[in-house]
Order: sequence, then C-alpha cells, then structure tokens
Amino acid sequence: MPSTVATMERTLPFDHPMHLAAHRFLVEEAYVQDRREFDTWLEMLAPDVSYRVPVTSTFGANPHKQGEMDHLSEDLYSLRMRVARLKTNLAWTESPPSRTRHMITNVCCYRTEKPDEIRVLSAFLVFRTQGDYQGPDLLAGMRDDILRQCGEDMRLARRVVSLDESVLKTQNLAIFL
Amino acid sequence: MNEVSEHIARMLADVRQGWIPPGIYSDQSVFEEERRRLFSRTWQFLAHDSEIPNKGDYVVRNVLDDSFIVARGDDGQIRAFLNVCRHRAGQVCRNESGNTKRFLCPYHAWSYKTDGSLAGVPYHEEAYGGDAQLRKEDYSLYAPPHTAMFNGLIFVNLDPDAAPLPDYLGEYAKYLAFYFPAGPRRVEVRGPQRWRFGANWKIPAENFSGDTYHTPHTHASTGVIKLVSNAATTNRKAGINFAAGGGAGSTFRLEAGTLVERMRSLGYPDDHIERFTASLAPELRTMIEKDGVIPSASTMFPNFSLLHLWARIDDDGQIAPFTTIRLWRPISPTETEISAWWVGDSDASDEFKEKSFKAYVMCFGTSGMFEQDDMDAWSTLTRMTQGYMSGSIHLHARMGLRGDGSEMREPLENFSGPGIGHLGFNEFNQRRWLRFWAEHLEMDVPAPPVRLASPPLSQAAE
Repeated sequence: MPSTVATMERTLPFDHPMHLAAHRFLVEEAYVQDRREFDTWLEMLAPDVSYRVPVTSTFGANPHKQGEMDHLSEDLYSLRMRVARLKTNLAWTESPPSRTRHMITNVCCYRTEKPDEIRVLSAFLVFRTQGDYQGPDLLAGMRDDILRQCGEDMRLARRVVSLDESVLKTQNLAIFL
Repeated sequence: MNEVSEHIARMLADVRQGWIPPGIYSDQSVFEEERRRLFSRTWQFLAHDSEIPNKGDYVVRNVLDDSFIVARGDDGQIRAFLNVCRHRAGQVCRNESGNTKRFLCPYHAWSYKTDGSLAGVPYHEEAYGGDAQLRKEDYSLYAPPHTAMFNGLIFVNLDPDAAPLPDYLGEYAKYLAFYFPAGPRRVEVRGPQRWRFGANWKIPAENFSGDTYHTPHTHASTGVIKLVSNAATTNRKAGINFAAGGGAGSTFRLEAGTLVERMRSLGYPDDHIERFTASLAPELRTMIEKDGVIPSASTMFPNFSLLHLWARIDDDGQIAPFTTIRLWRPISPTETEISAWWVGDSDASDEFKEKSFKAYVMCFGTSGMFEQDDMDAWSTLTRMTQGYMSGSIHLHARMGLRGDGSEMREPLENFSGPGIGHLGFNEFNQRRWLRFWAEHLEMDVPAPPVRLASPPLSQAAE
C-alpha cells in the first residue's frame, strides 16, 4: 500500500528536485492524455496502481463527502481493459474521439515515510469537446497522487481524484482524469 | 382543458401503431403533459432504506422539480416530506444527505423535526399569538399523498387517488423481488452516482424494458476485450423478454446445469446462492432452472430501471456479478439526470462485495464500458431528431409486427416466469411501455397533491 502523510505538513520548496520531478511528471502526463497516447500513459503507472474517482456530495455540513461510491475505482487490469476498449474501434462514444485539455496547476508536494515515494496534490480543469456537437464539458477538481521513483522514471502509484461537482455535466467518463 | 391537444393526440395514435414521432423526445408540450398527467400519478422511486439506517439519517431526492426529504425519525420510522418551509417556501434542507435532529429554514428559522413536524417558530408568542393562532401541529412539512415501501425501496405517489403500489406493480412485483427480495436475503445500496446528459428520459426507460437488440452492436467492444461472455452480448437473441403488470424486462440465456451450477457460473459464492434461492419466488426459480434464463435489465413503468449482469474482473478470468438501479429523471424534454446505485448482498463477505462493485464500475455507471456507449446513442438520437425535417419523420418500433399490425410471434406457451414471455429479438415490451405512456397522457389530470380546500382546523374555525 502506498504511504500517506499528514496534510498540515509544509510543502516541499517549489525548487526542490523532487517537486520539479513531480511537476514534470504531471505536465508530461497531461500531454500524453491529451494526445490520447494511452499505451504510454499505462506505462507511467506502477503495477500496483490504485486509481479512484469517488463521488462527491454534500453530507450535513461537509460539502466534499466521499463515501463508498466511485465513478472510477481502478487497478492496472481495469485501466488496461479501458484502453483496450478504446482501441477496438467499436467504442462508439469515442468515435470521433474526445478532444481533451488537461490543465494542471497548484502543484504541491509532501515527503512520505517511504524515501522513494512523494505525495503530490494538484488542481485540474479538463475541457472536453467532440466533433462539432458535444460540449464544451468542464470537469474541475483536485488530484491526490503518490508518485514513486522507479530508476530514472517516476510512476503513478495512487491517484484519488476529487471532483468539485456532485452531479456531473458530461455524458460519461470515457476519458481519464 | 382535460384533453390533450390534437397535435399530441396524433402522436399518441402513431405510437400505438409502432411508429414513433420524434417530437415525443423533444416537444415541450409533450413534456408539459408528462408532468401533468404521468409523473403526477405514477409511483416514483426516492431511496432505499439502507441509505438511512440510523435515526436522524436523511437523503434529499427529487421527483421532477419537487424536492423531498426522506428521513428516519426518532421513532425509527421512515417518512418522506416536501423540502419546502410552510412559511415562505425556504428549502429546509440543502444538503444531499446527512444526519440531523432538526431541519432549519435559512429564511426565518422555522425548524422541523426528523418526522416532519414543526418544532420551532421564532417569536411564536409575540409574533403569532402562540398556539391559539398558529397551531404548530398544523404546520408539519407536507407529506406526499402516498408513500410506500417495497422490500426496502421507498416510493411516493403524488396522486391522492392513486392505486396502491402492489396493485400498480401486479405480477411485476415478483421480478422486482428478484433484485430486492423480502428476505431472508437482504440487500444494501451504494450511491448514487449522478450525471446529466442530453437525451429524453423515455429512451433509456424504454431500452431497459427489453432492448436486447442493441446489445450485440452497441456493446460489441465489451465482447472483443472479453469483459463479458457471449451470453451477455452476441447471444442475446437466445434470451426471453418478460412483461408483467407494471414492468417488463429481458433475460440472459444460461449454460446448461443445475440452479447452483448456473449461479456459480455467474460468480456467485455458495453462501449467496443459499440466501438467493431461499428468497426466490417459485416462478422465478422455475424460470432459471427449467427455462434456463435469468433476469438482466428491466423497467418498472415509467422511469425506474434495474440491471443484473456479470463481468470478468481480472486477468485470471474471475467472474463477478452485480445489480444496479437506474432512475431517469427528466430535467427538460432533451436532458435527463441519471442516478445510479450499486446493489449488494448485505450478508456477503466484504471480499465478494468489492468484486461485485468492481464489476459494476467497469461495466455500468458514469464510466462503465457498457453504459458509456448507451449514453452516446441516446443523446445522439435526441439531438438528431430536433430538426425541422428530422422532426417530421417516423421512427420504426415495429419489430415483431406484420404489416397489418398483427404479432409475428405469440407469447411462449410454457413460459415459467410471471406474466408473458417472448423468445428472441422483439420490440413487444417497448411497444407495451409506449402504450402505457400513451394511456397516461390521455388520462385526466389528477387532483392536486395538496388539497387547499381543506385548511387546517384552527383556521377553518375562525
């Protein structure tokens, strides 16, 4: 299981080598996703990756309640299946494919108990259109990632995507966040 | 004013012949009649009791634009009431769910208990003259005319003269109990996932009532990647579609074997099969054992749907089954909000629940590899028929009919399930759903949910 850290700890300085490496990973990942190079994206994931997009809703005074229901609740197998499906040419909803723009910002990093893992928070805005008929759809939220150093490269070991909307205004999540 | 316009009457006549005028998917006047004549009198799903297990637990749910609180009171009883303050229509609960002792209106601070009764009115004595002039017990949050429970499912009906839920369900109740048994098997839900998309609400409701014909093509990708077996995609024509009382649906053809072997092949563990079998209506048991089919999708008229499926959840080929709820809530003629719940067996192991949940998320819901393509087909259909020319065409809903309108296939003679069954591809169930829909649009507008002619006694006496 990936490690976690207390959230109130100070962030790593923005010129820290680990922060720079994490930021670079996120930016490269965003371009990979927007170019729809999903096989490359799968290679950026750790074999034990956990990728979740929980449903956000307001519970009492808490506007960001995340319970047991997820929009996505993935491991490497299920993500590979999703990518394989997109490559069948029979995934009608992505024909023509979505144009996405992942905008990643507010990046901050924290050390973890494991020297080879870093916790990375970021905010995102995803802009999605299809052909001349669908969208623009917007998805905003934050990611809570664990990145792991694997030799020269970093790999995504865990991602929890917290969406800011409780009722999504896009017809499906056939795209990756 | 109680008859629909000539324009709509013509549409209904076409629908009855198996020709769909696309205006029923986008016409504002049709939507207005649906609000007045259909949603005003049909049983509408709000919640499952497992969502509010403790005293003070509540969820807030909509029927069209009406917001309802469904709460478990201090006495443990579940009630539904209109989420509208009796004073000046403040929204007394603005959360989606929670646990509370009181619902407090943000406007003038009238407060209500979890049983809907008025608890506090600021300056009750000075401003209102106390109970003599404003008797608190007369100002509970309005309850819908009817609330009814079916094996944990909570429904409301806004028609004061509505027939009771069991009458409305008829024989479909036995299919509903396949997904939501009376016991000893107990179920719980997770959710909902909620999202909106640009389709008319009738399209998915009709699809879930029996459209097995779309599966081999719309969902071809899921077969290619071996997410599911052939029975669930290419072999859907081997299934039997059932129609009974207030609902209809489809089934999957199972491999040869005993009931236990068949259930095992879908990924059910033995302890589940025991509870499942003990909870099953005899007709459903015979249907699975003798007819060799098991329910998949179905719709309880008008907009409450269910689905049962199984999928491969890892590289080793492990299969896990799941059940899910769909509520199709119209926002406008051309936009629908979907609420989707996963349904699990309460007494199952955590390990099995997680497998079932994984299968669900892979296949259905916001990101499901099946449902993604459904959404796209349904929003495209809605968009493509809003033109001047495309709005003037007729869509074909006559599969299984001859030119003279007679049925090509009689119902199965030896169908074991409740109601009637048709083997193979057929749009009988969809036409049946559309006929119900047309009948509702011709019904009189029901009496209003709240009868203002009968004011609270304290004022009537003055």
